Amino acid sequence: MTFNKKYKTLFLDIDSPAVEVEEKVNIVLSPSIYWVKKLTLLVKYTRDVKKLLPSIFEDTLPEGNYNYSAYKNPNVPNDDSEYFVFAYEDKKIIDLLAKKNISMANVASIHFAQSEMYNLEDTYELDEHKSIYVKDGIVVLVPSVWASHTKEMDLSELTLSKHKIVLQQFGHIVDNKSLFKIASVLIVLMFLVLGEYFITSQKTAEVAMLKDKLFSKNNLKSTMFQNKALLNKYKTMNKKQTKLRKYTAHILALKLQKDERLSLLVFKNKSLIANFSGVKKGNDAKIEKKIRTILSKNEKLKKSYSNEILHLEISL
Amino acid sequence: MNQINPIYLALLLVVLLFLSIFKLDSQRMSLVEEKQNFKSTQKLTNELVDLKDAYSNGVKIKKELQRILNNPSLRASKLVKDFKKSSVKINTQSMDIASINKLMGKVLNGSYNVTNLKIKRLSDTRVSLFMEIKW
Repeated sequence: MTFNKKYKTLFLDIDSPAVEVEEKVNIVLSPSIYWVKKLTLLVKYTRDVKKLLPSIFEDTLPEGNYNYSAYKNPNVPNDDSEYFVFAYEDKKIIDLLAKKNISMANVASIHFAQSEMYNLEDTYELDEHKSIYVKDGIVVLVPSVWASHTKEMDLSELTLSKHKIVLQQFGHIVDNKSLFKIASVLIVLMFLVLGEYFITSQKTAEVAMLKDKLFSKNNLKSTMFQNKALLNKYKTMNKKQTKLRKYTAHILALKLQKDERLSLLVFKNKSLIANFSGVKKGNDAKIEKKIRTILSKNEKLKKSYSNEILHLEISL
Repeated sequence: MNQINPIYLALLLVVLLFLSIFKLDSQRMSLVEEKQNFKSTQKLTNELVDLKDAYSNGVKIKKELQRILNNPSLRASKLVKDFKKSSVKINTQSMDIASINKLMGKVLNGSYNVTNLKIKRLSDTRVSLFMEIKW
């Protein structure tokens, strides 16, 4: 308790005067701030007692948001299961501290008067109105007028015990259990989402790897721009060759008149030229019409006719 | 003894959850994009490989053309074949109609890049030919 000794100790009661506190202090709670019971329970450990506390205090406490604490009675042999059990409202204590100008940042520890003053032999006066004494092992607060021989309480003489409480500053907003549940759900959800994220990134990496393999397996150029340009070149070539075959087949399949002959077929520089000889005047238009039927809108057909020779030029 | 407001903690967790959902969403979008990208690349590759194989596979084209040109039925046509690294020029002063039909049938039914062609009728039964194929 040497650690606690270095801080000043303050007694906190509802009627305590406000104080100027600039450094850390230890707080001893007045019996008026908490509820205490001395019980004998057939429970070995204090942690098991704590689970029972809400039901132990159930019928005693007025409506409120309580926190609980317990420790074994230090005045009985260790084997006996006599406990001091406490109920207190964190928010009420915090509000009271604030009212007395004590910031939570300046609070080093908080103790019950019960745990710190249980061995008082006399009645001690806290102020002119209130005194404190121990009755049947319980520290009680009484009006000073009730006590005849009182001594002045010197808190600096007090050696603080290890029994202290930690106030839940936000216990009134959400209790620890609910907070833990909410946090657990959020954390589980977060892990699920993160798990899904990692699976998705792995899949993305796999697809990228497959793409790389596709490039290396097929000896593609390093950029898609180059590959697209190459594909366009081949597509244009393929289109031209398909047209050449289509029109050549059509020209060769034309039904000509008896003396009409296909005398020349030339393909060069995107042009397919066909010369027909022995074409009588008037028949040239028929041949031209037959060829025009298979041309698309953007393909041009040039025609010239002289000396029974029909010259047709298709731009592919 | 100052404590952090649990609402801040809950808010922090909610923010973190939203951040991770946002990250997941953007990662999912990346995956969809990557898949689409892969599909389009695969389509492009298939088309490119097919067309390349059809028009630029020098070894295959050369071999096929030599087989066509060495056909016994074309021997009488006295075809002059000038094979170069990436092209071949075929010409003859005179060949019969049946032979030209056979030759052109083979060439035009195959996938060759015919860049130059000239067939001139010499008589009712004979023609001259000049043809250039590139790969």
